[in-house]
Amino acid sequence: MALIDHRHVLKGLTVQEAMRRQVILLPQEANLEKAIRYAIKYKVNAILVTDSQERALGVVSKTDLMGAYYAGLPLKTPMAAIMIGPPRFCHLHDSLDVALDLMRQSGIHRLYVRADVPDLAVGVLAYPDIVGLLYRYCRRCERSILRMERGERQEGKEEHFRVRDVMTSKVTSFPEDASLVEVMEGLAAHRLAAVLIQSPAGLPVGVVSKTDLILAYKHGLPAHVPAETIMNAPVQDCDQDEYLALAIQQMIFSDIHRLFVCKGDPGEIVGVLSLSDAARFRSGTCRACLVSRIAV
Amino acid sequence: MGEKARDVMAKQFFTLRPETTIATAVQVFRQASQEMRQKVFGLMVTDPDGRLVGMLSMYDILLLIRPKHTHIWGEMSDLELDGLFAAACQRGKGIQVGDIMTTDLITVTPDAPLLLIIDIMIKKHVRRIPVLEDGRVVGIVYLSTVFDRLLDRLAGAG
Repeated sequence: MALIDHRHVLKGLTVQEAMRRQVILLPQEANLEKAIRYAIKYKVNAILVTDSQERALGVVSKTDLMGAYYAGLPLKTPMAAIMIGPPRFCHLHDSLDVALDLMRQSGIHRLYVRADVPDLAVGVLAYPDIVGLLYRYCRRCERSILRMERGERQEGKEEHFRVRDVMTSKVTSFPEDASLVEVMEGLAAHRLAAVLIQSPAGLPVGVVSKTDLILAYKHGLPAHVPAETIMNAPVQDCDQDEYLALAIQQMIFSDIHRLFVCKGDPGEIVGVLSLSDAARFRSGTCRACLVSRIAV
Repeated sequence: MGEKARDVMAKQFFTLRPETTIATAVQVFRQASQEMRQKVFGLMVTDPDGRLVGMLSMYDILLLIRPKHTHIWGEMSDLELDGLFAAACQRGKGIQVGDIMTTDLITVTPDAPLLLIIDIMIKKHVRRIPVLEDGRVVGIVYLSTVFDRLLDRLAGAG
């Protein structure tokens, strides 16, 4: 791992150092049922669709699979029918900054990585991988709040970001009796990965994510069933005054992509923090790295 | 070595259904290991007609339970992981066997020669091969059984 640069954490790093080497791919003839199975089994948000030579043709994401559920497509439909292509690639030796800019400008959540052969993926780079990298840097840094938590350092807490500095304040929620169709429409309209489910009293009682929806699709659940049928409970949350580094730690180690943010009382949800938010912030978790901060 | 799959296959075996939850599947793994008096690392998944639709291995279950960013843990020996493991198991409970099973299967018929089975096991890195007759499961060949049979032969030849 390269040396820590407090002013610009990602400086000098290449895609190769952050990418995931396991690329989950399927041939274009594979059907949507298999695509869902691979997404669940390998915990990925997208499957690379390839030809017989494993050359990339397109991508089928959880969003696309959810769209197929919404449209009522049979699970036996081949992936080629819904894939988006061609996939966006970066090179192993591209700088991480360049790759992040490309992802941000293109509005995409992952880039496939190639070496010398075009269209042959040797890795994949997604926001959570970058957050993982940032987390490791933050943890090693002498200013780290994570060290403070271990009692190794006490001063300088004020320079650390809190969850409220990075979270998205707008929270989209649905009542328990909203149908999966309504939830899917909400997710698509707001480009979200999950929504909060509320009780009739307005209390947060669960979360429905794209993962839950594609599982419902695979299990043959009709799309008109209420959200409470498939929601995950309880809501995984954190306080808005929690340190960003600790919230990221909670997400990484609990294997979740987002935390709903409350204000004192867990019943009052005021925002949502996702791993993607944290990656877009990309300068680490304290103001010492503020130089490389970009607009979220 | 004129033996066939039918000579080395286990005729007693446990199966799972695609709609079985992982929590139940884990119990079946335990039960199978106890009753077979050997560690069972993989089970066949069949439909109501006894037709093979997939295989579920312990590896598939471990893959589900393992948090995605485990590689980061290696650097952090001071973290308390017990609660996280319990949470990971909890998350996996609602998943069904059919959601993570392997469907790209290699099978043989009861007439398959033992040498062919050995060749498949080596080339494809598989430890167990279902034996099908008219599309229905009639047995399963384990690598350990094949190896034992090979050892018997080698000892006899010596």
